[in-house]
Amino acid sequence: MENIETKLREEAKRLLLEKKADVIIGYEKGTLPLTATPCFITAPEEADKLVWNNFCTQNLAKYVHDLITAHKNSQKRVKPEDRKKKVIGVVARGCTTRSLIIHLQERQYGRDEVYIIGVPCDGYVDGKGLKAAIGGADIVDGSLDGGQIKMKTSEGDKTAALKDVLADCCKTCRFNNPIISDVMVGSNAPAMNPDAEYDEVKEFEAKPLEERWAYFIKEMEKCMRCNACRQACPSCYCPTCFVEQSQPQWVGIGEDPSDTQVFQLMRLYHMVGRCVDCGSCVSVCPMGVDLRKFLKKIDKDGCEMFGSRAGSSMEDMPPLGKYDEHHDKGDFVYNP
Amino acid sequence: MARRKFATLKSFLNYIGVEGDRTIFTWVSASEGDRWAQVIKGVTEKVKAMGPAGKLIKNLN
Repeated sequence: MENIETKLREEAKRLLLEKKADVIIGYEKGTLPLTATPCFITAPEEADKLVWNNFCTQNLAKYVHDLITAHKNSQKRVKPEDRKKKVIGVVARGCTTRSLIIHLQERQYGRDEVYIIGVPCDGYVDGKGLKAAIGGADIVDGSLDGGQIKMKTSEGDKTAALKDVLADCCKTCRFNNPIISDVMVGSNAPAMNPDAEYDEVKEFEAKPLEERWAYFIKEMEKCMRCNACRQACPSCYCPTCFVEQSQPQWVGIGEDPSDTQVFQLMRLYHMVGRCVDCGSCVSVCPMGVDLRKFLKKIDKDGCEMFGSRAGSSMEDMPPLGKYDEHHDKGDFVYNP
Repeated sequence: MARRKFATLKSFLNYIGVEGDRTIFTWVSASEGDRWAQVIKGVTEKVKAMGPAGKLIKNLN
């Protein structure tokens, strides 16, 4: 990883010096041990802040969309001939490039407005899982060395194997290497274990209906409507979210259990053909709601019914935007 | 595409525990009065057999 980090910094520096990008979105060292946090680099000398390791969690495509939208809004009152174009450089792994592809397919911005620095990824550490693995102790200091995480904690020294504390979405990731990139830093990482990606969903599908409902209710009871999942999700970019719309008001803003269920249900359902399983929503959720169990089902349906995986190629258009007369099943249609 | 949306919605609602039979989708033309009556009759019978829906209900008290 050191090698990739050095190359990444050089690349970022070169892009800023050659003015190929106005800002680079990447990760820097977090304020807490064993964390990384998104950062925005505009000056070449700042490029040395960039890191790339197994603690880089968030999907940066979200910030690409935010920055481009903010820039476009700022240019609205400028004469068309004086408008400036801004190019956003982004450090992107597999899932980030998938989100970028979704943005491009949904015509959110042009391909020339984003410069993709591809990096290979071998998964990120699930912060909550790591904490659980060491019995809830506070991490004071830590380092990653040859697949082992060594930590100094409030309850003495602890170690954890990297492969055990990777996020669920990374363990079964199918696209851990960038799908599209303008420049690739480092060589492709080895594949993860994609054959097991739907095991959890299949297990849940086999349960009786009432048990599934009980699980859904139990998970939704945890949700406190902080909207962190929506804020972190690269596919959630509507200027006004249905949650905040008041005319018509699609969902109540109170704490009624049905409002929470409907909010989650609608947000989840908006992910058909758009969820790239980057795990950002799961990692930011402060209450630990098991969102992935439901999102993965949506992904599975998209794959099985329409043979489409969200953002897996530039040519493959979003599944809900087309229709295949010969292959789509009609068994859901009510026909007495 | 309505078709694909309903296929996934039905499947997803069933997955979280709302009976799949409650999500009903079909096409009826404005000129097919007889078919429309048949469809509604069928749906009503189906729903009556299942009983009242108790899920995703908000009590406004």
